[in-house]
Amino acid sequence: MDKFKANLKSLYPHFHRQSDEHLNPYYTFQDYRQIWGVGIFFLMATALLPLIAMTLICYQLVDQSIDTESLLRAERLASNTRRAVSFFLEERLAALTFTVNEMGYERLTDPSRLEEVLRNLKLGFGGLTDLSVIDDSGTQVAYAGPFNLEGKDYSRQAWFMECQRHDACVSEIFSGYRDVPHIVVAVKSMQPEGRFFVLRATLETERLIQTLSSYKTGEHTDIFLTNREGVMQTPSRFYEGDLNRLTIPLPAYSDRTEALISSDPQGQPIVIGYAFIDTKIAPTSFVLMVVKKKAGMMKVWLDLRSNINWLLIVSAVVIALVVFLTSSFMVNKMFDADREKARTMVAAEQNSQLASIGQLAAGVAHEINNPLALINETAGYIKDLFILKEQYRGDAELIEHIDSIIETVERCGTITRQLLGFSRRFDVQIQPINLGKMVSDVINFHKKEAEYRAIAIHVDIPATLPLIETDRGKLQQIILNLVNNAFQATDNGGWLDVRADVEGAEHVRLTIRDNGCGISEEHLNKIFEPFFTTKKEGQGTGLGLSITYGLVKKLHGDIAVQSKQGEGTTFVVTLPIHTEKGFDA
Amino acid sequence: MKILLVDDERKFVTMLARRLELRGFAVTCVYTGAEALKVVQDGAKFDAAVLDVKMPGIGGIELRRELQQLDGGMKFVFLTGHGSDSDYSVGAREAALYLPKPLKIDDLVDILSRVTGKNPEGGH
Repeated sequence: MDKFKANLKSLYPHFHRQSDEHLNPYYTFQDYRQIWGVGIFFLMATALLPLIAMTLICYQLVDQSIDTESLLRAERLASNTRRAVSFFLEERLAALTFTVNEMGYERLTDPSRLEEVLRNLKLGFGGLTDLSVIDDSGTQVAYAGPFNLEGKDYSRQAWFMECQRHDACVSEIFSGYRDVPHIVVAVKSMQPEGRFFVLRATLETERLIQTLSSYKTGEHTDIFLTNREGVMQTPSRFYEGDLNRLTIPLPAYSDRTEALISSDPQGQPIVIGYAFIDTKIAPTSFVLMVVKKKAGMMKVWLDLRSNINWLLIVSAVVIALVVFLTSSFMVNKMFDADREKARTMVAAEQNSQLASIGQLAAGVAHEINNPLALINETAGYIKDLFILKEQYRGDAELIEHIDSIIETVERCGTITRQLLGFSRRFDVQIQPINLGKMVSDVINFHKKEAEYRAIAIHVDIPATLPLIETDRGKLQQIILNLVNNAFQATDNGGWLDVRADVEGAEHVRLTIRDNGCGISEEHLNKIFEPFFTTKKEGQGTGLGLSITYGLVKKLHGDIAVQSKQGEGTTFVVTLPIHTEKGFDA
Repeated sequence: MKILLVDDERKFVTMLARRLELRGFAVTCVYTGAEALKVVQDGAKFDAAVLDVKMPGIGGIELRRELQQLDGGMKFVFLTGHGSDSDYSVGAREAALYLPKPLKIDDLVDILSRVTGKNPEGGH
C-alpha cells in the first residue's frame, strides 16, 4: 500500500518545489517546470495532431462523397420527374394534334361534335375541363365544357400569341377568367382556305401536381414547377414566398438535367436538381425543381460524426492523461536524480571544506612550530646560561636573545592572524575584497612548500585593481583549490604564475597558470565533472575542481581552463566586481 | 661527540648549537643539504647528523641517503615541524628517530647518546 502511494506520488509533479535553494547551483537544469511543460506540449502535439488531421481528412472525404452522392440522387430524381412531366404534356398535345388533324375545322366547330370529342378525350386522359376552337383573330368560335365562354376574345393572351408563332403551345399555369388554376394547351391547324385556327384545351393542374407528388421521397424533398422568372407554378412546401415567388435563386438555363448545391434563405445547405422542360411538340416555360435539404440526407453521417467526435475527445483525454502522467513521472525521476546529485555535491563541498580546514591546520602547525622551536631554543639557551654560566649580568648577548624571542613571538602572531583570516571564510557575507591581498595570503601558506620544491611563484596583481564585492571564504577556497591543484600538477623546479586584470567594466579576471603536467584533451571537458579524477584510487576524490566550479557559479562568476599535456594548465576565473548584497551565496 | 646540525632556520640552528656545546658536544652548523654534503665530502667526520626533514633544495630524508653513502657510520636524528606529516612517518620509518619541533633538549641529548653509544664528551 505504501509502495502504491509512493508510486502515485511520483506521478504528481513535485519538481516546482525547489525549496532547497542552496542546492540550486548544482542542478543540471534550472527550470524543471519548463522542461515538463515543453515535454508535454511536444508529446501532445505529436500524438494529437495526426489524430486530428486524420479526423478532419475523413470528414472532408465523407462530405465530398455525400455531396457527390446527393447531387447524383437529386439529378436522377429530377430527370425521372422531368420525363413524367414532359410525357404528361406531350400525351395531351399529341391527342389534340391527332384530333385537329382527324376532324378538321368544319367538324370541330360543330358544338355537338366538339362535346363528343371532349367526352372521348376525358375518357382517354381525364383532367380535361373544356375544349374550344379559336379562329385566327383570337375569337372563340366553338366551345364545349362547363362554362359558356363563346365569342370570347383571346387575342391578347400569352398562350395565343405563342400559338401563332409555333404549331402548338403550353401555357403557364394561370387562373384566367375563371380564377381557377389551369394550364392551357393548344395546337394550331390550317383551314382549307389557308387561315389558321387553334384547338385549345384547359387542363386541371391537379393531375400534374399529383404526378409531381408521386416522385417525392422523404420529408426533406420538395418537387415543384416554376416558370423561368421564378414564379411558382405548382405549390412548394418550403420555398414559396410572397407573390408566389421562389425564395431560392433560380439556376441558370441548361438543356440538360442538372444538379447543384446551394443554400436556402435560412442559410441551410440544399441540393437542387432542376430541368428546363420542353416537350417534343412545343416549348414550355416550366422549370422543374427538385430540392432536397442536405441536413436530412446527412443525418446518418452526422450521427456517425458525433460518434467519431466522442471517440476523438475520449482518445485526446486519454492521451493527455497518459502524456501528463508519463511526463510528470519522467521529469520527477530526472529531478530526483538531479537533486540527489546536487545534495551529494553539497555534502562533498562540505567535506572538502573540512579537508581544507585539516590542511590548513597542518600548515599552521608547521608554520608555528618553526618559530616555536626557535623560541624554545632561545629561551632554553638563556636558561642554560643562567644555570650553567655565571657571567649573565649586563650581557649584551642575552639582550639579543631576548629580542630574538620577542621577534619570534611576533612571527607566531602573524601566522595566527592569517589563520583567523582563513577561519572567517565560513561566514557567508558579501564584502569588498582586495584580490591581491587575498592571493598573497593564500600563496603565503604555500611558501614553504614552494621553497622546498623550488617552485617559483610570480604574482602580478596591479594595485589599481578595484575591490571586488564577493564572499571572502568562497573566493579564498577557490584560489586555494586552484593553487593546490597547480602545486600538485607541477614538478619540483617548475613555476606558478598568478595574475589579475580588469575585464570590461564589470568583471575581474584571475589567471592561474602553471607549467605542470597539463591535462590531456580527452580529459579537458570532464575536469569540472564531479568524481572525475586521473589520480590513483584513494588519492583524489575528483571533487576539487567540481566544487571550485560550484563556488565560482555561486559567486556569479565563470571559470575556464586551457591546457596542453606536458606544457601546463591555465585556469581563468572571471568574477563580477559588484554583487548584490544579500544574494544567496 | 661530533654532531652535524642541518636546518634552514639559521637562528634556530645557532641556538641549538650553543646549547649542545654547553652540554659538551662538538657541533658543526650548516643551513642547507648542499652545504652539509660539502662539509662531509671535504673530509669532516661526524658521529651523528641532526637533520630537519623539510628544507629548500635537498630535504632531510634525501640528505640522509646521500650522507649515508659518504659515511656509512654516521647516525641520524630527524627534526620535523609537522606534528603529523607524511614526511614525519617516512622519517620515522627510515630512522626510527625523530623529534618534533619544538624539541626538548634533554630528549635530543638522550637520543644522540643512544644512537652513537657515546656520551657528549666523546667517551663510551
